[in-house]
Amino acid sequence: MMLSTSMLDRSIQELESRSLARIASAKTREDLEAARVEALGRKGGLNQFSKEMGKLPPEERKRIGALLNAAKQNLEAAIEARERTFAEAALNVRLDAEWLDLTLPAPGPRRGHLHPITRIQRELEELFSSLGFAVLDGPEVETEYHNFDALNIPPDHPARDMQDTFWLESGNLLRTHTSPVQVRGMERFGPPLRMIAPGRVFRNESVDASHEHTFYQLEGMMIDRDVSVAHLIYFMKTLLAAIFKRDVTVRLRPGYFPFVEPGFELDIQCLICGGSGCPVCKQSGWVELLPCGLVHPNVLRMSNIDPEQWNGFAFGLGLTRLAMMRYGIDDIRQLQGGDLRFLEQF
Amino acid sequence: MKFSYNWLRELVDGLDTAPAALEKLITMKTAECEGIEATGALLETACAARVESVEPIADSHNVKAVVDAGRYGRKTVVCGAPNCRPDVISAYVPVGKKVIHDVESDGMLASGAELGINRDHSGILELESQVGAPIAGCLPDHVIEIDNKSITHRPDLWGHEGMAREVAAILGRKLKNPVRTDLLPSGAASIAVEIKDLDLCPRYSALVFENVSIQPSPLWLQRRMITIGLNPINNIVDMTNYVMAELAQPMHAFDADLLKGGTIFVRRAHPGEHFRALNFEEYTLDPSNLVIADASGAIALAGVIGGLDTAIGGTTTRVVLESANFQASSIRKTSAVIKLRTDASMRFEKAQDPANTTRAIARAIELLQELSPGIRISGGVADRKRDVPPPPPIALPLAWLDRKLGRKVPAAEVREILDRLEFGVAEPAPGVLSVSVPSWRATKDISIKDDLVEEVGRMVGYDSVTPQPPLVAAAPPPRNLARAFQHEVRAVFVDQGFTEVYDYSFISEGAARRFGFDPANHVRVTNPIASDQELMRASLLPGIWHNILENAKHKDAFRLFEIGLEIHKRYDDGLPDEVPHLVAAIYDRQGRERLDGAVGLFEIKRAAECLMPHARVCPAAAAPYEHPARAADVMWRGERVGRMFELHPSLIESGRAALLDLDLRRVEVLSGSEVKYAPIRRFPSSAFDLSVIAGLREHASKLEDSIAQFAGPLVESIEFLRQYSGAPLAEGQKSVSFRVTLGSADRTLSSEEVSLIRARIIDGMRGMGYELRV
Repeated sequence: MMLSTSMLDRSIQELESRSLARIASAKTREDLEAARVEALGRKGGLNQFSKEMGKLPPEERKRIGALLNAAKQNLEAAIEARERTFAEAALNVRLDAEWLDLTLPAPGPRRGHLHPITRIQRELEELFSSLGFAVLDGPEVETEYHNFDALNIPPDHPARDMQDTFWLESGNLLRTHTSPVQVRGMERFGPPLRMIAPGRVFRNESVDASHEHTFYQLEGMMIDRDVSVAHLIYFMKTLLAAIFKRDVTVRLRPGYFPFVEPGFELDIQCLICGGSGCPVCKQSGWVELLPCGLVHPNVLRMSNIDPEQWNGFAFGLGLTRLAMMRYGIDDIRQLQGGDLRFLEQF
Repeated sequence: MKFSYNWLRELVDGLDTAPAALEKLITMKTAECEGIEATGALLETACAARVESVEPIADSHNVKAVVDAGRYGRKTVVCGAPNCRPDVISAYVPVGKKVIHDVESDGMLASGAELGINRDHSGILELESQVGAPIAGCLPDHVIEIDNKSITHRPDLWGHEGMAREVAAILGRKLKNPVRTDLLPSGAASIAVEIKDLDLCPRYSALVFENVSIQPSPLWLQRRMITIGLNPINNIVDMTNYVMAELAQPMHAFDADLLKGGTIFVRRAHPGEHFRALNFEEYTLDPSNLVIADASGAIALAGVIGGLDTAIGGTTTRVVLESANFQASSIRKTSAVIKLRTDASMRFEKAQDPANTTRAIARAIELLQELSPGIRISGGVADRKRDVPPPPPIALPLAWLDRKLGRKVPAAEVREILDRLEFGVAEPAPGVLSVSVPSWRATKDISIKDDLVEEVGRMVGYDSVTPQPPLVAAAPPPRNLARAFQHEVRAVFVDQGFTEVYDYSFISEGAARRFGFDPANHVRVTNPIASDQELMRASLLPGIWHNILENAKHKDAFRLFEIGLEIHKRYDDGLPDEVPHLVAAIYDRQGRERLDGAVGLFEIKRAAECLMPHARVCPAAAAPYEHPARAADVMWRGERVGRMFELHPSLIESGRAALLDLDLRRVEVLSGSEVKYAPIRRFPSSAFDLSVIAGLREHASKLEDSIAQFAGPLVESIEFLRQYSGAPLAEGQKSVSFRVTLGSADRTLSSEEVSLIRARIIDGMRGMGYELRV
């Protein structure tokens, strides 16, 4: 049978519009597949017209071919668009089904807490490291030499009474301050030296809300040429500003410690009342915070450092006291108590 | 140490600085003041008053007295004192009107205690003054209390004269000398003194007094004693205390008639020598103690306390007054050994000035003339001493001083400061002062130029120094790897939900035994604060065990850790071995879903692996505190680094605790290796699964090791997948599944190669007696 080209034109158009309608009305993937087979299937649809084309004159064949291609592309685009709609709908269904109560707590343990002394200590370690100070450790069980003699506190020196000492059967003692680490630092590194030594110290005292036999100090020392009181004050102010995160007013007054000469007590203006007087500063406006001074030449000499060539400053900061001030802790026993209700606050 | 403001005023010419301002100046320039206290306020208005009449008050032991109170007029007061009687002259204080037993009392008659003159509460004060006169020599005062620790190095500040010298120097005023040395008698002494050991006693001075009458001190002296915290006793004792409080020179009075022989010996005690002290204690002495002795034996423990047998009493008429100087360390040692610190020993152990002994005697002579009327001096001052040349002057380079202080102090100012503190100052060469130290600062306090920096610094005021950053080399400080590592460990464990605790370094013998530790293996404290703190911990476990039990009272589940030192009785260089350890614990109360405790153990294992990747756990025999079926060594990089276990149920009442105990010194060493990059493999790997049927208690790690051994060098990984027990497996058996991955860096393995290896594993395992599901 020889179809007229105009009939062929119409048939293609009819098939195209019928198929487009069917694609548009497909409700399921199966409907859409049936529509696709009808329009583009090997045996039906547009393919049946392709067979006819061979019989056409070349110029007609070219025109009909273009027509068929256009119809095919239209249908394919329509099918693809319809498929996308189905996929989107399916995705929406899945997404909706996956509703989750995000207010539920995350499983697994919560993050733990560092001890408040660790926190303060680390801050200070970082600060002093940035200022070029080494962070040194020394033993908790010390020799009498390092804890006393090398610090210019010979036997029978009344200053030994200032520090009630735990003695051990070996003749050693529990260090009463972190100062022996100064001596170990000088022995190990020699001058020049910048070091701090945070750590646990012991005094034989009964425990109550404000006294502990176990507490924490941070010793500091700098040895160089011509270290002066002006340098000491500079470091102390820098240290305190970093700790309290504000500028603090300090004062130095004479204080006696055998390993420094001159020796000072450094007070800070009370941060609670600003210096006008309150119970925390016992109405004085000042809080005693750290003993310090220029290193006694005997101490240098004992560690084989020539005091005519080198000198330095040293200070001892009460980490326990600092932590208590910083966090408003009113009972020192909490720090060694291991009570999570306390520790989890930090 | 308590200082009387009035006393300081007597010694500092024209002192008019108010007590509170003075306290502040002393704190900033000399020594720490602990507080200031007004005393004897009633003395401001008190006056002598005669009791004119007394009548009883019904139903009361009080009486109604009418008194002539001088300028206050005639007053009616209610008084409860037994000595309130007509014609007695007492102290009237206008304290206001008050109705007592229906009688209006206008003011009061006061006792010595109420006025702050003495401690006498037994009755009203009895005076011999004119009616209306103030109470002679008794005034309101302020007590400035100085922290004893802050004057440990200053023997001179243990007396008012020393503090007055400071005050005078601070204020630029003149110090008055309270001592008239012209009163010292010359001539032969009427008692001999023989010092056997001049090291321990560099000087001993004594003077004999006759016609002494022992009686209460006048009220002004009693008031002084009370003000500085001492009890008035009698005129002689109060006088010695007065001189000590003024000049810092302790003294002692013996009853001369009770001494045997005419010589006072200063010698070391004989071994086992007995001594009866004024405090009624009996001491057994040894040659490390210095005694004052007569012919029959010890009559005083030198510098600490006098003897009972030669003590002055009501009948004493002749007195030997001792004013001596003793070696500081010897006094301190004796006082520590016999556990007796007295006002005298406290001063002597600060190293007192030997030049002061005869000054004190001169001061005593002047006082005794008033306190014991009719008293006579017998003979001259006995004075034995070692002649000590004055210390050489100290060279003080002014430029050096400026460098030390970090500010310039003009030479004239330095000279003036030192001069006011009674140093001798010369300037033999420009820019260098030659400073001689006064005797009262030379015993121990000041011997080097650094000591003078303090003298100048405190007087110019440290607030005059401008803070200044130093110029130093920009060298990185040496790293503290152990500490950095411990901080890393802390971070890991905090991230894993553990909270850090700090425990004591002490444990009790009981706790050690509870854990099966031998107390003898612990370093022992010789003076523990309590019996439960007598051993140094050789393990952190007892501490965290205590934390677990305490926290379990409040919480159902928690995680704890501590990093601390174990102290072991292994001595190296004289010190015990201190080993940093980590202990971590996961506690879970029984009865919740995680009933069997496995989760806690595997959680703590996971935490350990976070710190030590690929760490392995090797079951091993349990310690007494470990669950016998749940205890293992923790191995890392071929070394045993710690233990992982469940706490033995006998140590925990409810719930379970999984623990980890690591030797951080070893872990740190092992963690130090640098990462070396290996190229990513370009050829695909092949994997297959295997299930091994094994006995229920066989360790998966052992199966894995065997598989690895049979698999050979081409194995990339062996991964545990799951285990299963129950039907259809026989009772007592389990199936453990692994995924074996094979691969090579230089080629893709052929399926034949893979099959061959697989067959080798299967054959090998079967050869060991295992059945396999493949």
